[in-house]
Amino acid sequence: MMTSRRDFVKTAVFGGASLLIGFDGSRLFGATKGNAPGFFTPNNWIRIDGDGLVTLTIGKCEMGQGVRTSLAMILAEELEADWTRIRLVQAKPSADSDLGTGGSDSVTSSWKPLRQAGAAAREMLVDAAAARWNVDSATCSASSGAIVHTPSNRRLDYGSLVADATKLPVPENPPLKNASNFKIVGQRTRRIDGPDIVSGKAQYGIDIKIPGMVYAALERPPFTSAKAKGMQEEKARVVPGVRSILHLPRGIAIVADNTWSAIKGRQILAVEWDNPPKDAFDSDEHWKQLEVASRETGFITREEKSPPGTPPVTKTLEAFYRYPFYAHAPVETMNCVADVRGNRCTIWVPTQAPERLQNQVAKLLGIAPANVDVNITLVGGGFGRRLAVDYAIEAADISRATKAPVQLLWSRADDMKYGHFQAASVHYLAAGFDAENKPVSWKHTKAGSFHNISPLDPPEKRDTGWYQDWSWGCYDVPYAFPSIKTGYVPVELAVKHGPWRSVFAPSSVFARECFIDEIAHARNIDPLAFRLEMLKGTDVIKAGATTIDRRRLRRVLETVRDNSGWGSQPNNRSGRGVACNAYFGHTYIAYVVDIGLDHGNNVRVERVVAAVDCGRVINPTGVEQQMEGGIIWGISSALKGEIIFRGGTAQQSNFADFAVARMRDTPAIEIHIIGADAERPFGMGEPPVPPIVPAIANAVFAATGKRIRSLPIRLEQLKA
Amino acid sequence: MSKFDFTVNGVRRAVEADEDTPLLWLLRDNLGLTGTKFGCGVGVCGACTILENGKALRACQIPASEAASRSFVTIEGLSPDASHPCQRAWLAEEVAQCGYCQAGMIMTACGLLHENPNPSDDDIDHVMSDSVCRCGTYTRMRKAIRRAALEMSSKK
Repeated sequence: MMTSRRDFVKTAVFGGASLLIGFDGSRLFGATKGNAPGFFTPNNWIRIDGDGLVTLTIGKCEMGQGVRTSLAMILAEELEADWTRIRLVQAKPSADSDLGTGGSDSVTSSWKPLRQAGAAAREMLVDAAAARWNVDSATCSASSGAIVHTPSNRRLDYGSLVADATKLPVPENPPLKNASNFKIVGQRTRRIDGPDIVSGKAQYGIDIKIPGMVYAALERPPFTSAKAKGMQEEKARVVPGVRSILHLPRGIAIVADNTWSAIKGRQILAVEWDNPPKDAFDSDEHWKQLEVASRETGFITREEKSPPGTPPVTKTLEAFYRYPFYAHAPVETMNCVADVRGNRCTIWVPTQAPERLQNQVAKLLGIAPANVDVNITLVGGGFGRRLAVDYAIEAADISRATKAPVQLLWSRADDMKYGHFQAASVHYLAAGFDAENKPVSWKHTKAGSFHNISPLDPPEKRDTGWYQDWSWGCYDVPYAFPSIKTGYVPVELAVKHGPWRSVFAPSSVFARECFIDEIAHARNIDPLAFRLEMLKGTDVIKAGATTIDRRRLRRVLETVRDNSGWGSQPNNRSGRGVACNAYFGHTYIAYVVDIGLDHGNNVRVERVVAAVDCGRVINPTGVEQQMEGGIIWGISSALKGEIIFRGGTAQQSNFADFAVARMRDTPAIEIHIIGADAERPFGMGEPPVPPIVPAIANAVFAATGKRIRSLPIRLEQLKA
Repeated sequence: MSKFDFTVNGVRRAVEADEDTPLLWLLRDNLGLTGTKFGCGVGVCGACTILENGKALRACQIPASEAASRSFVTIEGLSPDASHPCQRAWLAEEVAQCGYCQAGMIMTACGLLHENPNPSDDDIDHVMSDSVCRCGTYTRMRKAIRRAALEMSSKK
């Protein structure tokens, strides 16, 4: 329900009248006293100034998913704004804001409120113009930043109507545009930040400079319980530019006049840490634990028993799939500028979790969250890493200790070794066949670990839905097995870990889509045809909070089948694989992947044919970019680096030992967007990721006969 | 601390710094030219790529003592208005996602086209594969480089 406040005043703050409409997802309201804090603080608002400039406060973080452009497009469409006269302002967190950016939710959740806000402003401007001309509002229309009265061929710019519009009530239910009249939504639109990016003007967290700012590096304990045995503190103090060396709970901070002095000071300090205990965290031990756990029943996340009359299981196929630790490795390493002064703190930070950051920094400093002013910069790659706020807490701690604004910058090695890693998991899969070799049961148990980026919900809140939330891609298996049982087994994990691109889905979808392939091959059936077969029956199914429309999944599969030459054999020493996924029941994607093997048996992804149905398309270019990026992300996961722990410490430290895909690894990519005229849009940042790795692994099987059940794919796995 | 003179984007600059300070930090911290990015600090990601006489170099690998008296171009100096053929091609092909690595990528591409005005796809892959884009913008980057090469050769 929308509510409105009917009193508007002119706002002197902006040097003239401005029309302000606030909206927070469920409510739409106008301004009374400008945007005075505490009185009018919607998370998102649009402002139209007397000169016609439209300012949109963006309530989501931009990390490359193009959200600043797509949200502006939605607003401009409904407002009938002049696209060249839009300015974006980044929102700040407050007590009731929801700026957190993840789960590919931004476009999905902003679609309706943005349209309503735009439509409300548009209708107010129409009414203001109609009153000015003394004509019926119905004879006026909005177009490109102006109201037009066609019968008399009169036209008034938005700017000239703002003063009158502010005196009108905000309409309760403004009519939304008919999709057939969309002029911006669905059009290829250039990224708003593009010109700033190519000219080096775009500001990321690392680019922030504050008067009086000092620079810090932080030497952290390499494993939990690590103690410093020794260090060259006297030598480090005299490194030119080094100001101080601070022994803090989170490590030893080297504070300096510039970045290099902090880096060099840390090198010279050469902290020697003690040896890890024998039981320090180790990847191999963790794999064993996960594997044992995956055989347990765990918490049942979905259970559908065979209907009466289903033939009994006479044969079972089972397999274990392993998904490793990975680092997010965004090119912009973790960094944060913090300025703690008394009971106030100002932060400049590339983050995906502004509210979590505000609350946790406030908690550290023992001040009210409202006293932590968070300024969100552009994010040089998020991928879920920046949903954790560890680096901001460190920066605030250092600023408090050094009593100055400080920029904390993580080195690349810090970023690799102290990440909130994608946590390893083991998946137990089992399929039961009847006497006629028909699959009649499906079992998938995920043994994994809860995040430790923030406190978990208390046990009493951990219902089935809660456990389902930790196992996307597992409980929501879209296939029609008469009997389905999925479960989750949590395993303790001491090292930092958290969400990554596509959160929990990639591991489960890798296991599920490869095992489906195993079942198809066990039955000697074409794996794509088998998937279509298993997607028959009820068109729309419910799995927990997720609704899956099998028609949409079938359609993306049929699209890649029809466009990839599926069924024909690619060249010698190559193979073709397929995989698909319904991301949260929102965005549906299928891939057909061709891989080739060089003479050294190295796998190369040669071609990817993709079909995507993300509902109503806002920006086709944006959809394609996310598809391309998701495919490259998956190639990194399938074929490049992993993080391995020994003695409690990640062993990788740079792009040299944690390899990621480069241009030479990039395949030919063909993208088919379907269903773009649907009623509502869904997210695109994450959905391209989960099905690409299993499609690659299935193609490797087709080429080599070797079933890939652990990642990344290594030469040893392909040996005869 | 010593004083170092060098030229950036056609302007003579003098900075006071430790002699082993990488040029990357002189540009960013001393001169406020933050378009040149930090990514790895050891020359394996390409985010800090700049130009000297048209040749692409990694600013994190050039200490202040070696930068003295030389002349560099950073992304800020490539053109006054994003009009360099590479910048225009980058916009036309909609390459950027998060955008963080893109200045380094554009400078690397400029270096490639300076030495090889008509690169094959293999040439492009070979040179550009020394740089990292975690968003995975490689497909569009390839197209942008081909487009820029075409434009630059047709002007000659």
